[in-house]
Amino acid sequence: MGHFSLSVVGRDRPGIVAEVTRVLFEIGCNIEDSTCTILSGQFAMILVIAHQKFTSVAEIDPSFEPVRKSMGLTVSLHKLKDEEVSREKGFTGRPHIISVYGADRPGIVYSVARELARYKVNITDLNTQVVGAKDRPVYVMVLEVDIPEQVDMKDLEREFDKIRKELSVSISVRPIEALEL
Amino acid sequence: MAVLPIRLFPDPVLKEKAAPVAGVTAEVSALVGDLVETMRSSQGGVGISAPQVGELYRIVVVDVSAHRRGGQEQNHGLLVLVNPEILAMGGKQIVREGCMSIPDYTANVQRAQWVLVDALDGDGNRKIIESLGFEAVAIQHEMDHLDGILFLDRVVSIKTDLFRRKKYR
Repeated sequence: MGHFSLSVVGRDRPGIVAEVTRVLFEIGCNIEDSTCTILSGQFAMILVIAHQKFTSVAEIDPSFEPVRKSMGLTVSLHKLKDEEVSREKGFTGRPHIISVYGADRPGIVYSVARELARYKVNITDLNTQVVGAKDRPVYVMVLEVDIPEQVDMKDLEREFDKIRKELSVSISVRPIEALEL
Repeated sequence: MAVLPIRLFPDPVLKEKAAPVAGVTAEVSALVGDLVETMRSSQGGVGISAPQVGELYRIVVVDVSAHRRGGQEQNHGLLVLVNPEILAMGGKQIVREGCMSIPDYTANVQRAQWVLVDALDGDGNRKIIESLGFEAVAIQHEMDHLDGILFLDRVVSIKTDLFRRKKYR
């Protein structure tokens, strides 16, 4: 069994998923995990795929040549170590959502990510975009994070306060309240 | 009382319609007791329905009082609802739900903000219950199980909801 990461990017239009998954189906690849979205008019797919027999990129990659040509897609394939692929999410901390937004300026993502990394906070999902009027762009970032038990929220808040002042952004942090039913 | 095994999707019992019970008999009471114990044995569990333990009867149990947010809102503590019917509902809320029958998955679901429910309680007495917020979500989720509806049938967005990049015209 071989596991691979597959990423596909191309100008958004109907049919990209159909074409990419047709190739996967025809060569016998399973889609183990995937997420796809539109980024600035580009359709972006990232998947973890598995094959019963194929264990090298060279056995799969040529099958994507036709869609590269016909649809102009950028398709990249990388081998994953089987032992590194896991269905277990393994998040043991406290899940939170963080919203960060303000007038667009450089360094917003980095400043927040840097402090999160310093406190060993795991980013489990991250979404950024520029919204608002053309002449008044607003940068919006929403993160889902896993905050380790030992991290004191007051310490994190203090770091965020510095970022709020430095970059004039709003930052709000709240626990993800899922109902287990 | 006993902790019963939870039926996991794709167990077909989860897509069946459950039948009303004739009344709160000793058998029904025993099942209610087991449901309460099973719900409490699950980490963070705030509700359960009889079909989730393979019993196709219209019985649900809800208790959000121990939940971090649900417990801060108005709630009834342990609620036993036998043959529940929704009389009225209103408002909207989007809540992230998980389900013991579909482990390791949560999703945002749109629910009514409040519900008015007609049901028998654990002693067989008819009660009209008004519920709001998280407790109302739990009631709606569990009552869906009685009709073979899973929260996956009601997902409104895959992930973070706040700033979707899609524009709806």
